[in-house]
Amino acid sequence: MDDWKPSPLIKPFGARKKRSWYLTCKYKLTNQRALRRFCQTGAVLFLLVTVIVNIKLILDTRRAISEASEDLEPEQDYDEALGRLEPPRRRGSGPRRVLDVEVYSSRSKVYVAVDGTTVLEDEAQEQGRGIHVIVLNQATGHVMAKRVFDTYSPHEDEAMVLFLNMVAPGRVLICTIKDEGSFHLKDTAKALLRSLGSQAGPALGWRDTWAFVGRKGGPVLGEKHSKSPALSSWGDPVLLKTDVPLSSAEEAECHWADTELNRRRRRFCSKVEGYGSVCSCKDPTPIEFSPDPLPDSKVLNVPVAVIAGNRPNYLYRMLRSLLSAQGVSPQMITVFIDGYYEEPMDVVALFGLRGIQHTPISIKNARVSQHYKASLTATFNLFPEAKFAVVLEEDLDIAVDFFSFLSQSIHLLEEDDSLYCISAWNDQGYEHTAEDPALLYRVETMPGLGWVLRKSLYKEELEPKWPTPEKLWDWDMWMRMPEQRRGRECIIPDVSRSYHFGIVGLNMNGYFHEAYFKKHKFNTVPGVQLRNVDSLKKDAYEVEVHRLLSEAEVLDHSKNPCEDSFLPDTEGHTYVAFIRMEKDDDFTTWTQLAKCLRIWDLDVRGNHRGLWRLFRKKNHFLVDEEATINHPNFLGVTPKGGGRPRSCRTDMRPPPGTCRAGLEGLDSFFFFLDWGAALRVGQALTQETAVPNPWTGPPGAHLLMQTHSETLRH
Amino acid sequence: MSKISKNVILVLLTLTSSAFLLFQLYYYKHYLSTKNGSALSKSKGSRIGFDTTQWRAVKKFIMLTSSQNVPVFLIDPLILELINKNFEQVKNTSHASSTSECKFFCVPRDFTTFALQYQLWKNEEGWFRIAENMGFQCLKIESKDPRLDWIDSLSGTEIPLHYICKLASHAIHLVVFHERSGNYLWHGHLRLKGHIDRKFVPFRKLQFGRYPGAFDRPELQQITVDGLDVLIPKDPMHFLQEIPHSRFIECRYKEARAFFQQYLDDNTVEAMTFQKHAKELLQLAAKTLKKLGVRFWLSSGTCLGWYRQCSIIPYSKDVDLGIFIQDYKSDIISAFQDAGLPLKHKFGKPNSSPHCLFCHRYLFPKFTLCWTEFVDTKFRVPCETVEYIEANYGKTWKIPIKTWDWKRSPPNVWPNGVWPISEWDEVIQLY
Repeated sequence: MDDWKPSPLIKPFGARKKRSWYLTCKYKLTNQRALRRFCQTGAVLFLLVTVIVNIKLILDTRRAISEASEDLEPEQDYDEALGRLEPPRRRGSGPRRVLDVEVYSSRSKVYVAVDGTTVLEDEAQEQGRGIHVIVLNQATGHVMAKRVFDTYSPHEDEAMVLFLNMVAPGRVLICTIKDEGSFHLKDTAKALLRSLGSQAGPALGWRDTWAFVGRKGGPVLGEKHSKSPALSSWGDPVLLKTDVPLSSAEEAECHWADTELNRRRRRFCSKVEGYGSVCSCKDPTPIEFSPDPLPDSKVLNVPVAVIAGNRPNYLYRMLRSLLSAQGVSPQMITVFIDGYYEEPMDVVALFGLRGIQHTPISIKNARVSQHYKASLTATFNLFPEAKFAVVLEEDLDIAVDFFSFLSQSIHLLEEDDSLYCISAWNDQGYEHTAEDPALLYRVETMPGLGWVLRKSLYKEELEPKWPTPEKLWDWDMWMRMPEQRRGRECIIPDVSRSYHFGIVGLNMNGYFHEAYFKKHKFNTVPGVQLRNVDSLKKDAYEVEVHRLLSEAEVLDHSKNPCEDSFLPDTEGHTYVAFIRMEKDDDFTTWTQLAKCLRIWDLDVRGNHRGLWRLFRKKNHFLVDEEATINHPNFLGVTPKGGGRPRSCRTDMRPPPGTCRAGLEGLDSFFFFLDWGAALRVGQALTQETAVPNPWTGPPGAHLLMQTHSETLRH
Repeated sequence: MSKISKNVILVLLTLTSSAFLLFQLYYYKHYLSTKNGSALSKSKGSRIGFDTTQWRAVKKFIMLTSSQNVPVFLIDPLILELINKNFEQVKNTSHASSTSECKFFCVPRDFTTFALQYQLWKNEEGWFRIAENMGFQCLKIESKDPRLDWIDSLSGTEIPLHYICKLASHAIHLVVFHERSGNYLWHGHLRLKGHIDRKFVPFRKLQFGRYPGAFDRPELQQITVDGLDVLIPKDPMHFLQEIPHSRFIECRYKEARAFFQQYLDDNTVEAMTFQKHAKELLQLAAKTLKKLGVRFWLSSGTCLGWYRQCSIIPYSKDVDLGIFIQDYKSDIISAFQDAGLPLKHKFGKPNSSPHCLFCHRYLFPKFTLCWTEFVDTKFRVPCETVEYIEANYGKTWKIPIKTWDWKRSPPNVWPNGVWPISEWDEVIQLY
């Protein structure tokens, strides 16, 4: 028995047992037929039992599997419920649906109706001139974008080309002209229209009417055009009625890998158009940026409130820059949207951020002001532990070292009661007047445009007496009032950490932006180490200022301050010029100087006790009120060049001949600005949908008028 | 020959079938034991109970949360109770050193409850997916954010309140705590919406979520229980004591807004100064009484202000707090005086003589206490607020009355009388 080898296929223990049992049987019962029979029957019975056990096992396993699949069901329900939240898709109603599209173009009215629903109607006077473009989803018929390009005016055609190029292939494009759309429609734009298959588009003439429906990169679905018979009249109104066949949803969507990010992307791209490569099928631009964390960040747990209106493209650009900034923590960001606008909310969801909508209260500036209040209150409610909040607006680019800048300076707000805020924006920090990203200033004016608010300031002082809805005040003007500011100051960098790119807005237009915001300096250097942050505290800063003034070389005041040669062609020097101030709040001379320096002159900004600090030609340039010259710290000054300040300093009002010459070149500049301001007033009065004040400046109009009338007086 | 071969075939058949049978029996038994955690194989000796579904679900969940950096902590009352009882023992077996018996996580139960502070959670989105890939079936309960409620006209992204993740027959309940003004944590009501499968888990047996709740922010500590590293509140006892009294009620912001639309807010300087002052007073009183460990609630005018308009009634000119007579301590007065709050009147003393000068009885129906948020602080109020207010101010409490005499006006004041010891509360009036 010992030499018996079990078959490798058979379980050794069982086998051996069976074998020995069989052998015993065999030896004992060899010739006993009955017994052998018995053994055989036993074996068959044994087989039967095996079969039964087998069946039982199979049944059991089956039941377990079916139970498991039952368990899975709730999850499927849940997924379905999620699916229901997604935009409704037209399913199952026939293989190919058809949209019935109507497009009307005329001198004073345009409208577009899809399946009987008006998606665009514009018959307002003096508004909506140019080419209206609507993009429809080719699978659902939803409106994905709606734009108007005033191609009567210059450069608008470029914007149109940019927009149309960004639209994904296959989308349904609808164009219609109101009033006039050809005057500045240049060849590039016409070529693009030709490439879309339009016959009349490339040949559009003065005051023609035109309606067009086509698929991007595909067939034209309908086009009507009416030529204007004479210069003084318009083409006949045209009404285009056409059928647009819908394609299947699969065709309309890209095949991105199934990740959480792409899920967000897909949801976004099926709803809106005009965001460029974020919806590109082949190579979509990332929507997650994961910038480097900031070591020892002091602002990691500071909530960030983004105040937004209905400018989703701005919001998109802003959030991109914000989420790319080093040390950003996305879960601290909340976007507050003034109004129930869908598209900004879609942008917020694309980046996976928290978005909160706000029912509009009141009108215009007061509406913005109420939106600010609700947003700030909500921010401190959502983050009850926060001592500060960062307040941003939707039309700002955020510098890569924005959070690093705040992290290095935020302790000042805690330690220095004489501070009102920290702002990322230097009102006077233009390309030609800002130089040193490591340098900070203390200023008496609150710049806004990316700033830090202390909770105690808001909760104890500002919130209880915030302007009520019936007061049509700007929140920022209100915050700048002496009753609120109480002599406290803000910390600002020399080189701004935010950039204001908004052109459309409540207090904003292209000309104004060009003149005051476009040339603003914006820091692009990562990880700048700020210099001497503690010298920004109240008393230390006075010492610092006096040191600066005592070291500064006094400029030749006989020269024209408006001319470039006012400052020597040196580098790294500190110069000082003096201006006359009759009283503490007499800024007439400063305003004149600011004008010729081409910096902010619409009201007084960036001063600290009658001192302005800026850079000219890589030299630190101080402008101080004359009174300071009697300051004890000034005894050691040896005036250079022209010796004692003269002519221009005191005589800028009324400007004498020499200075006048310098200013004359600027006169057209003034008118330019005034025009801009007038436009701005017009816009403020007509604009229905208010948006948060993009310009934390004053309600420019009246201040500008004031400045202007002063200029006239002299 | 045929006989032999027949025998051989029979033998072979028997052998194979018996081998199969044995294998199947073995497999079947194994299968059964995994299915019912109770049918443990006692033979394993050194590690008893570590293959229960409960333990395995918890282990998997902890693996998931630690790999995803989700800072969860254990708040399961049953297990915390057990841990609390054997605290010394748990502390001593600091590391995974030879825990031979599964004592805590293998206790038969339907749920294990964990909690999470929402603002510490970095990647909420990816977590859900990974949990499902690991075999959990998860349910997420969301709702609108109550912190935005009182600001008229804000509507935001919904916030997660509860997650329930099921693995086999055991479910993990993850309560999401949100931070509220007043330095406390809040969790929401687990409300099942229409499309949720009501049989997903036995929802009735959940320990949290029947009502919204408020808790002090617990300090946490890391311990090793049954071979698993978990965070638990540093003072489990305190946390356990909080649970039965944690019910939270939100101020009725909508009604308050309607009230202000009808009667307009008093924006005069005096009103605002009083409100500011009263707010500071309330916060100071809350701090003082909390230090003493005395339960108290907003009473009379302050309670009416909270309930009717979610703010301090500007013309009420005082601040009212109530404490139960059995909670009364003599050092309350001195503590208030130390905090700079002189006591003006005191009504009723425990076992006091019925001859006291300012004795007034306030009769109230029996009530329980709930948490609420008022002037950025966590306060208790009677849960049955309407009854409480109606007992005090009558059915017309919705209409503001500017001249109110606390001695005569309340319908429930009984001028001088015997002070019944139990059931009635004592009202301390400060200002």
